[in-house]
Amino acid sequence: MINELLLQFGQWMEAQQYSQMLVAGYYSYSWLEATHVLTLMVSIGSLFIIDFRMLGLVMPNVPASTIAARLHKPMIIGFVIMFITGALLVYAKPVETIQSLWFRMKMILLFLAFINAWVFNNRMKGAEGNWDNDPVAPKPLRTGAIASLVLWCGVVILGRYIPYDWVDCTNTTNTTILWAAGCVDQLNAL
Amino acid sequence: MGDNNKWDDKTVAAVSTAAIMLGGLLYYWVGEGQSTVELLELAYGSVKFFNNPLVF
Amino acid sequence: MLGSILSQYARTLSVFAVLLLIVLIEALGVREAVYPGLLPFFTWMRESSWLGVIGTTYGSVYATVEAVHLLSMAVLGGTVLATDLRLLGVIFKDIPSETLVTGTHKCFRWALLVAILTGIFCAAGVGDKVYYMQVFWIKMLVLLLGSCYMLFIKQPFLTSRPHAEINPWMIRLLAITSMLTWFTVAATGRWIGFS
Repeated sequence: MINELLLQFGQWMEAQQYSQMLVAGYYSYSWLEATHVLTLMVSIGSLFIIDFRMLGLVMPNVPASTIAARLHKPMIIGFVIMFITGALLVYAKPVETIQSLWFRMKMILLFLAFINAWVFNNRMKGAEGNWDNDPVAPKPLRTGAIASLVLWCGVVILGRYIPYDWVDCTNTTNTTILWAAGCVDQLNAL
Repeated sequence: MGDNNKWDDKTVAAVSTAAIMLGGLLYYWVGEGQSTVELLELAYGSVKFFNNPLVF
Repeated sequence: MLGSILSQYARTLSVFAVLLLIVLIEALGVREAVYPGLLPFFTWMRESSWLGVIGTTYGSVYATVEAVHLLSMAVLGGTVLATDLRLLGVIFKDIPSETLVTGTHKCFRWALLVAILTGIFCAAGVGDKVYYMQVFWIKMLVLLLGSCYMLFIKQPFLTSRPHAEINPWMIRLLAITSMLTWFTVAATGRWIGFS
């Protein structure tokens, strides 16, 4: 049901003029993808520095909450750009992306990463003042930092897999993969 | 900049290296921009970013 | 007297020696002479080296290493942006710039090492294809110069004295050069992927 709805939504987007223009342009899709990838350095770069500080790997003599607060804005700016360019990338190739197993897994990890960030942020606010000047954060925050690193590494790795066609709808007959990727037509044909 | 010498070895090396590298990089990027504009002009007679299949 | 100047300005003289070497390499056509001889190495890298064989045979391994390359560049970019934007007075204004310069350098070096190692694997997987790409050679040149600039010029200079004693325009020049260098490495690297 959800897969059918998503496919219909993807096909509707694909029929839009601007979606076709984005893909057809010589530079447009490349510039969009390049911006999405290069902005990683701003968004995830800032995030990883905050996580590394929690683990005592970077600037251990600077209060952790200060680093988190100062890098918060660049990180958010980076993520906003990532979100906009990411949405446009989906808009440019909607069916292909929506039916990509890697894209779906990436979205799940992205959701979990944001939940982790929200939990981590709340924990950090609650713990302020007690451990701020310690070189290494308390265990719950370290766990959150490690979870953040693992989840975001997963997001980037899965994002890198999207252009590859190893388990595309037309390249596999595994029903689990076909279902997980939302390959409605291929599942119906089996 | 240093107790005795304003222009010590590290300072001169830093300024000269940075200036040369910055000059080289700006030259490269201006050239890239120029060739992109030339390509657009070659294809369409003018530089435009919309309603231009070469861009969007 | 001359000996004293030579020893006092060894680093500066090295910079100009490298610059002279680059000019001579171009002017005497050394680059054009050496370039054809590199093709067998690049072909060997892709077809025969174990890096190239793994990269071309197992696409998933190649894609994963590419992603690690991206992640290391994200960390590298993060440390560069944190440090250089502080030097420009944009962020971290309440933290001494000396603290940021020293506190992020180890992270930068590790990220650079991982980026280079994964980059070698990625290049081996495509071998002769990148040999013919001008943008690849530009990336390699900027990467080499940028690494030397960071490790032997910028970092030693910024850790040798309090930043309050340095001309602010000099600090801005160093920061902007650093940011543009690593942006160029990243952007040319992305363009290799498109070519």
